[in-house]
Amino acid sequence: MSCQAQAQLGTAKRLRHRARALLAGAVAVIAALVTALPTPALASATSDAVAGKHYIVATDTTFAPFEYRDGGELVGIDMDILAAVAEEEGFTYEVQSLGFNAALQAVTSGTADMAIAGASITEERKQMYDFSDPYFDSGVQMAVPKSSDIASYEDLAGKTVTAKTGAEGESFAKSIADQYGFDVYSVDQASTMYQLVAAGQAVAVFDDYPIIAYGITQGQDLKIVTDKEQGSSYGALVAKGKNQELLAAFNEGLAKIQANGKYDEILEKYLGDTASSGSTAETDTSFLGLVKSSLPAFVEGLKNTVLITLISFAFALAIGIIFGLFRVSPNAVLNWIAKFYVWLFRGTPILVWAFFFYFGIPQLTGVPMNIWVAGVLTLCLNSGAYVTEIVRGAIEAVDPGQMEASRSLGASYGLTMRKVILPQAVQIAIPSVINQLIIMVKDSSLLLAIGFAELLYQAQQIYAANFRVTETLMIAAAFYLISISILTWLANKASRRLK
Amino acid sequence: MTSATIEKPVEAAAASEAPVVIEVKDLHKSFGKNEVLKGIDLTIHKGEVISIIGPSGSGKSTLLRCLNGLETATSGSIVVAGHDITDPKCDMDAVRQDIGMVFQHFNLFPNMTVLENVTYAPINVKGMSEAEAKKIGMGLLGTVGLAEKADANPRSLSGGQKQRVAIARALAMRPGIMLFDEATSALDPEMVNDVLDIMKGLAQEGMTMVVVTHEMGFAREVCSRVIFTADGVIAEQGDPAEVFGHPKSPRLQEFLSKVL
Repeated sequence: MSCQAQAQLGTAKRLRHRARALLAGAVAVIAALVTALPTPALASATSDAVAGKHYIVATDTTFAPFEYRDGGELVGIDMDILAAVAEEEGFTYEVQSLGFNAALQAVTSGTADMAIAGASITEERKQMYDFSDPYFDSGVQMAVPKSSDIASYEDLAGKTVTAKTGAEGESFAKSIADQYGFDVYSVDQASTMYQLVAAGQAVAVFDDYPIIAYGITQGQDLKIVTDKEQGSSYGALVAKGKNQELLAAFNEGLAKIQANGKYDEILEKYLGDTASSGSTAETDTSFLGLVKSSLPAFVEGLKNTVLITLISFAFALAIGIIFGLFRVSPNAVLNWIAKFYVWLFRGTPILVWAFFFYFGIPQLTGVPMNIWVAGVLTLCLNSGAYVTEIVRGAIEAVDPGQMEASRSLGASYGLTMRKVILPQAVQIAIPSVINQLIIMVKDSSLLLAIGFAELLYQAQQIYAANFRVTETLMIAAAFYLISISILTWLANKASRRLK
Repeated sequence: MTSATIEKPVEAAAASEAPVVIEVKDLHKSFGKNEVLKGIDLTIHKGEVISIIGPSGSGKSTLLRCLNGLETATSGSIVVAGHDITDPKCDMDAVRQDIGMVFQHFNLFPNMTVLENVTYAPINVKGMSEAEAKKIGMGLLGTVGLAEKADANPRSLSGGQKQRVAIARALAMRPGIMLFDEATSALDPEMVNDVLDIMKGLAQEGMTMVVVTHEMGFAREVCSRVIFTADGVIAEQGDPAEVFGHPKSPRLQEFLSKVL
């Protein structure tokens, strides 16, 4: 699970950083006393403000080379800069790998303190966020398949190109789309863009140059055919007016690592010639090699998928039975409450609720939301609505003569429900409920949108780094079959016990 | 066989002196716009065995179901053992404990064994101990000839056996009144007599019974009074010999010519 993994990662880092923080703190004090720094008062003030503090930093899931997973660990230019700055400034942090839009959303809602996600500094975003000093200068380029004849924007007339939603590449492509007469097909992830081009559904990719350059080093059959356009700068960001001490510390730390050469080292590591990424070239590129290297991530995903489904399912059953009884109750108010609940949750997408619980609730209440709580709420309230209808249908499928026979003996409505109707309704409902459980397993994959580390999220993390989308998804599908088999087996076992 | 050879549980003359257990006054019942009962007046004394006959759709089952509140009267009053069950404040659950009902389709609980069906209400409604309820239940199953089926699932029984269990289940609450709603209509012909014999036995023990039936032989031989309903009213009633021997209204004459 993302949070736990991040938390563990964070704890490890925290321990490391605590030692460094002490050292850094001591150095800062001595420096302030002995050395004449350019702005000694400010420097020590910001360091003091953040030193020893712990922050939550949100980032994208799949923005190689700025952030991506390598062997399960989140790496990339953003991650290394963040680590270097945190070390300089003596703060600790944990990273939440949420996806670009979700990361920005997390900052807005206060779920995260800062986001570093290869975000371009734009006027529009400045309305909502305060940016750090630029830490990277980018620019949009167009890439086409190596065999393509397309060499300029003029060649795009009547064709479709692809770009990443919300990225600079998209806004640039859209700004010239009318002029050159092409369509822009926006997708959520870099890997999807490359798939579209490989499959011929798009003829060109528009994206920031480091992204494309990295893709090519990873074996994408692409060539860059245009110069950098609309050069933009990347900055870390905080919610407008919030976490100013963190922002100041980031700027200060950035200046330090730019001065001491650490910054150049990081860029060299990720954007230098392909020789530097020699380690990736040596990895086993066979399907079995992929299975082997991705196994730990998928096992973690399997665990999270099964666990969150089971927990949510237990709550969904409870909700479904209570509201199902409301639904058949002669009491009009209870009936109406149940009807409203079913109407609301059956009529709205799961994704909306995932975002609402994870980002909306913290914004409304100011209380941070745990991702497991948000995930379970989302899944159990959605499935609970379907279970309610299953329970209602099952109760109504019991012969009305059963109710009459029990009532004619002097039994109350409640007693009759408990002893006569529900035991029979359970038998009727079991196949549909097991079906709902299986649907839930697959619905749980939607939680990847808020960064919950279930199976499909793991798959995304893996193919975002290696671009082997189809093979990775096939492995993910196999793991879904495994998890559904496990849960069906458990459910059948439980239902046999009920009989 | 003539009615003279049958020992009637309660003679008509004696019945009128016995206390009144059910008093129905001007009962109307509508389902939507369809008025099924159009003003029923009926007084039933303790120990009477009454059969309700009449063409289908004449309201006989509805009348019976009104007596234990399975149907709610649209207007009029029904007083059962001193309780006005048309009063919304009436504790129907308490009143129903004294009125057993046997249904055409048995309505045994398939999630319980035969014995559990019988002990269900005594244990859960009356709060009787399990041991006592089982003793009574086994006794009743013995009476209906099904003691050896105590642990069977109701689904494994024949129709006649199911109905005998249903009668035992109703009797387990020791009711003062028993209602039978076409209790033999869903049975194979060879099963009918098993059930009728038990009903006869009950009648001879002095149980107050209201029986909706198509079994004219039973109505004639066992009942103390026959009520003929047609078009939502009681068209004719009286001693079985009277009703079957000298029907007055043309509608009853027509009905009897069809069923006898």
